Order: sequence, then structure tokens, then C-alpha cells
Amino acid sequence: MKNFSRKQFLKTAAGAALVMAARAFSTPLSAAEKFFREPPWKRKKPYWGYAVDVTKCIGCARCVDACKTENDVPREAFYFRTWVERYILRRSGEVNVDSPNGGLDGYLPPSDPGTVTKSFFVPKMCNHCENPPCVQVCPVGATFKTEDGVILVDRKYCIGCRYCIQACPYGSRFFHPVLHVADKCTLCYHRIKKGLKTACVEVCPTGARMFGDLSDPKSAISKFYETETLQVLKANMGAEPKLVYKGLDKEVR
Amino acid sequence: MDLAYIETLREALHKVSGYIYPNDLELQWSVLIVLYPYITGLVAGAFVLASLERVFDVKVLKPTYRLSLLVALAFLLVAPLPLNVHLGHPERGIEIFLTPHTSSAMAMFGFVYLWYLMVVLLMEVWLDYRREIVEWSRSETFWPKRVFYKVLTLGVDNISPRSLEIDDKLGRILTVVGLPSALLLHGYVGFIFGSIKANPWWSTPLMPVIFIFSAMASGIAGVMLIYMFMCWVRKVRIDMPCLDTIGKFLLTAIIVAFSLEMLEMLQTVYEAEEHFDIISLLVEGKLFVSMILVQIVMGSLTPIALLGVLQLAELREKTRKFICALSGVLALIGILAMRWNVVIGGQFFSKSLRGFTTYKMEFAGREGLLSAIILGLLPLAILAVLLYLLPPWPKEDQAKAS
Amino acid sequence: MKDIQHLLRVAVIFAAAFAGFLVVRTLLVPKSFGKAGHYRADAVDEFAQLPRRYAGEHACGKCHAQQASDKAKSSHRSISCESCHGALLAHVENPKSDTRPRRPKEAEMRAFCGHCHARSLSKPGRFPQIKLSEHNPDAPCNMCHQPHQPK
Repeated sequence: MKNFSRKQFLKTAAGAALVMAARAFSTPLSAAEKFFREPPWKRKKPYWGYAVDVTKCIGCARCVDACKTENDVPREAFYFRTWVERYILRRSGEVNVDSPNGGLDGYLPPSDPGTVTKSFFVPKMCNHCENPPCVQVCPVGATFKTEDGVILVDRKYCIGCRYCIQACPYGSRFFHPVLHVADKCTLCYHRIKKGLKTACVEVCPTGARMFGDLSDPKSAISKFYETETLQVLKANMGAEPKLVYKGLDKEVR
Repeated sequence: MDLAYIETLREALHKVSGYIYPNDLELQWSVLIVLYPYITGLVAGAFVLASLERVFDVKVLKPTYRLSLLVALAFLLVAPLPLNVHLGHPERGIEIFLTPHTSSAMAMFGFVYLWYLMVVLLMEVWLDYRREIVEWSRSETFWPKRVFYKVLTLGVDNISPRSLEIDDKLGRILTVVGLPSALLLHGYVGFIFGSIKANPWWSTPLMPVIFIFSAMASGIAGVMLIYMFMCWVRKVRIDMPCLDTIGKFLLTAIIVAFSLEMLEMLQTVYEAEEHFDIISLLVEGKLFVSMILVQIVMGSLTPIALLGVLQLAELREKTRKFICALSGVLALIGILAMRWNVVIGGQFFSKSLRGFTTYKMEFAGREGLLSAIILGLLPLAILAVLLYLLPPWPKEDQAKAS
Repeated sequence: MKDIQHLLRVAVIFAAAFAGFLVVRTLLVPKSFGKAGHYRADAVDEFAQLPRRYAGEHACGKCHAQQASDKAKSSHRSISCESCHGALLAHVENPKSDTRPRRPKEAEMRAFCGHCHARSLSKPGRFPQIKLSEHNPDAPCNMCHQPHQPK
């Protein structure tokens, strides 16, 4: 009996191994099809997306100011829901980055302008990732992705462990000094729900910032997604940001 | 708003080097979070030492078996405190048990912790002491203590050989279950850091393994020092075969932990990914003293050398004791430094990978040095109470002492 | 049976503790938790109801029709009123309120317009920029350029 069952087991195991091996050899190409994932905005309406055209940003930081005003963000130089970075690339290969008070204090003219090869501004904010690392680590379900694709923090439920701040690859979260909870860009949820633009998009004078409904094929943002050459920040994190950039330089991170 | 704290952050703005994301100025996890893996590690290590006697039948470790269990219990009771004190809303901490988020390492840790405390450690201590508890509940003359023992018997004073045999069997099973639980507990602490892909200093699959082995080293060193100290207090002779064996296990744990740390470092250097520049600046700069000098040279290489000599040379008893004690202290300091280098070191650099922030430890605040010291000493106070209520010493020892 | 009585009592204690936990859990978990996902669904509505500060582009034209139509024909057409004049929902809801639209005084004008138009090598080249120190240094901008119909 004992021998029989062992034999039986070996048979089954060998069989299973064979089937798996056969599968691995016979379908190497079709496996690639599994990488395709239908974007959620094909299924859910609305579904918000955001885009930044780096080639249009003039670094006026109106957006930074508007964000702080609209959302009561503490006016300290280390609490931002959005900020604007300036990159200065030099002939020597040196890269200088700054963002004085998030851009609100203005940018001093670069020293040694003769050595500068290029310089540009990059607005940063929450990437409202499709696969958000911050939501993944939240121990209690206080930070979450809404059904329309926005990442929010429940201020009445957050325990203030700050794990999400550690987990965000983009530095878009901070610890609110008054509320003692994690805080971040809400994509002006209280505005977009009423059909208004986010505060940052509202005040952007050059149209460098753009947002809209990805589920609407006719929206400007959908067109932008479909026709422009886009990049996301730190794609290797696998977070799948819904904040995309046009004209991003390789030095930006 | 804590204005004094805001003021320290404003000052920190001037000490930033390079470019950091503006929100990265504030160091989110303070010295309390350094303490947390340290304490948890001591628990796991002490439990491993206990299991060596119980599961692996290293009989010579008998004198420290119960002591290890009590040390593990004392530290385990304190382990979640630094976490809770650190929370922005400590009163909401219970949500971790009410609505645990299954994808969060931190939420799962709550359950691993409860399982380990309630089911494994408390049960094991109780089963192991049950005969004495029943005896003490009859013989104790000081009434509050007697009531305490009475409650602990749960109203059952049956200590028939059959029931004790059952207890012993169950205890053995619990230890066997407890060993992976202890490793899981501390492995999970490592995973809390190791799984943060946004932080290259933390994100490595080796993190849980390194944490487990350094935990063993710290727990073994901790129990060894407490044992030596208690022998001195109680004026009994240190059991030398026991101490020598602990020394051997300590050496093994330090060697494994240190090798893993170095392998991890080698991997980082060799792969030299995008984050390599900032990491090497970190190690050469802000972490030079706490990592190269304290963690590696003082906390790992020196005890390895000292304990190595102990294995090779025939030394007098006094010298052996001295070497063990010194190595234990150095290892404990080194592992504390290792926790610091992981937790604080990992927050020194911004995720822009282009600059560093600073950390100025408060002294008296909620997350300051003072509360860290208090929380660090609290387990020892609890241990003193436990030793008073549940003396772990063998009978003949107790007779000698009194 | 007699010899495992103490263990049975432990089991009862564990069972009671677990039952107690379940009771506490039903009492303390917010009602809307888990309705839409692993979070408090009510939080979404709470966010949607937060107060606003910026009124939005369409609010201004009702009273300031002339400026709105001037701007709509100019190269500043895509710039929202509140981009220069500040957050004005309070002003829209009650024009007599203390919130006045931001309007630079003559002395501040060069800095105000320069905020966008001062030359910087970091700005995109096609964006209209001037060297503030060389471009009619003493004149306020609106001597030549009307902000609602800039030329």
C-alpha cells in the first residue's frame, strides 16, 4: 500500500512537471500578451488624469501659491502638495537643482551662465499612481484610491504612522503639523467634483498643467495622452503614475 | 502646531546639502523607531536562546532557559510602545486591529505580534511555571503575592504527574511553533523596511534575514549579560560551561549577521545602480562614525576577534568572563548602531537622490532622547518585577542564595 | 479530562477575548468602511465638500464683461483672471466683502509682470521675455501694454 501510494505520488508529480514544462516551451510568445493591461479609465467614468508639459512651464509658481491657498497647506518651506523644481545642466556634466520655497521665493539667476547648456522647470506633485505604493503600505486603510482614480488620505482615520510618506517614491506627502496626519495633493477633489479645474491648473498661465477625464475620448487630456510623447517619473517603481510629462529630460527624478 | 518643532525644521533648512524634495526635509521616523526594531530583536534573540535548550536539547544552557523566556516577555511587552508613542494619533492605533489592511506589512505585524505574545510566549511561560505557581499559591506568606499566584493558577491546582507531562509536551510544541514565530516577528520588522521600494537604502530582500541574525546576536548578548549580572547580584557562581556555550552561539550569530551585511553592501557597490552615488556619500559622510566605526569595527569585528580568541586559546575563567561580557556589550552597542543606520540613515538622503537633510534629536519631547531612554529601560524594570514574581533560578540555586 | 482542566480554562479565556474583540470591532469600525473598498467611503464625500477659495474662470465675466471680452481676444486669453488677481470666491459670493482682487500699484508693476515676463534662461525660449533692467527701466508696464489686451 505504502509503495503504491509513493508510486502514485511520483507519477502525479512527474505528470504535473511535464505539463508545466510543455506549457513553458510551447507558449513563449503568447506570454507577452499578458503584459497588456486595459487601463481602468476604459471601464470607469470619470477617471482623472493629469499631465505636465515641461516645455511650457515658466517657473512662475502661481500653482504652488494657489495650491497652498486653496487647500490651506501650511505656509512653511517644507510642506508642499505641489512644487516647481529648476534644473540647470552644465557643460561639465554638473546638474544643479533647486526649488526655493517650492518656487515661491523665485529663482536666482544661475552663476556662470556661460557654462549652462540647458535649464528648465519641472512641476512636481502627487502622481496619483494607478498602483500606489502609499496605499499598499497604509496599515489601516486611511489612504486609498477613489473609484475615479484619485489618491486621498482620510483625515479622520489616519493614525499618523507616516509609513505612506516613506513609501512614496516622489516625496509628495508630508506630515501635517496641525492635523497630525499624512497630507498630500487631493487633485482638488472638492473642485473637480463640481466641474471646476484644480487650483493649480486654473492659475497656470501657460497651459503647462493639464488635467481631465481620461474616460472621455474627446477630452483634451485623452488627446494629450494619445498623441504626445510622454514619460513618467521613476517608471522602474512600477507605480504607474497617472501624472505624465511631456519633454522630460533624463536628469529629472 | 508645535512652534518649537517648526523652528527646528526652519533651522534644518539651512543645513540641507544638495537638492532634496521639499517634503523630505522632515525626518519622519525618529529615534523611537530606532528603538522599536532593537527591542523586538532582543525578544526574538532571547527566544532563540531559549529554544536552543528546549528544542535542540543544548542541555548546558539550562541555567538561562527560563531567564531567556522572561527577558523575551519583558521586552515584548514594551515593543509596541515606541510605535504607539510615535503615532500622530495614538488614540487611533487600535484601527490596526479593527481594519487591518492586508497588503500592509505594518498591519500584519500587529497580528504576528499578538500571536507571538498571547499564544506563544505567555502560554509557554505559564506552562513552564505552572507547577511552581500552584506550589507558591499554597506556600506564599505575603498575601498580595499569594493572590497573584492564585489568579495565575486559574483556579486549577491539579499538578498531577499526568497533567505536568501534558504541560511539558504542549510547552515543547509551543517552542517548536514559537521558533518560527520569533523569526517571523523579527523578519517582519525587517520586511517593514525591506519592502519600501522607494528607499534604496532599505529596499533589499536581505533586510529581513539581516534583521533576524542581528536580532539573535543582540538577544543572546542581552540574556548573557543579564545572566552574568544576576549571578553577581545573587552572589552565585556563573555556570562556566553555560557561559562558554552562549559565547559560541553569540559568535556564530555575529559572524552570520556581519557576513550578510557585508554581502548586501558588496551587492550595492557592485551593481552600482542609480542610487549608488548618494549611498556612498551617505556611508562615507553622515554614517561614517555610526556605521564604519561603531557598527562594523567596534560592534562586529571586535567581538568576532575577542570571541574567536576565546574559542582558540585556553584562558583562565576570569579572562573568559571578561571577554564574554565585553563582547556582549560591544555587540549590543553595535546592533543599536545598526538599527540607527538603517532607520535614520535611510532618511538622511532625499528620494531626489541628490541631497541630504539633517536630524536633530530632541531631548525632552515626545519623540526625544529622554523618552527613548525611558522606553529602553522600561523592559529592564518589567524584567525585575518578573524576576521577583517568577524567580527563574533552579531550586538548588535558590537554596544556596538564601 | 481532569488533567487538562487548566488548559480548557485557558481556551475559554482565549475564546472570550476573541469574542470580546469581535464585539469591540463591530462597535468601533465606522459604518461606511469597506463599502467601496478598504476605506471609509464617507471620507470621499467629506473631501468633496471642503471649502473652496478660487471661484473659477466663468465667475468673473458676469460683472466684469468688458475686461472678460477684452481678454478673450488677447494673447492673455488662456490665462485665468485669478491667475493675476488672486483667489476670489469670497469676492464673487459677496462683492462687498473685504477680499479685493489683487491689482498691482504702479510702483510694483514691473515686478508683478516680470514675475512671468522677466528674462530667464530657464524659461522656454518662445515665451515672451524682457530684460527688466534694459526694457524702458523707468516706465510702468501698462504705459505701453494693457494687461487685458497686451501687445
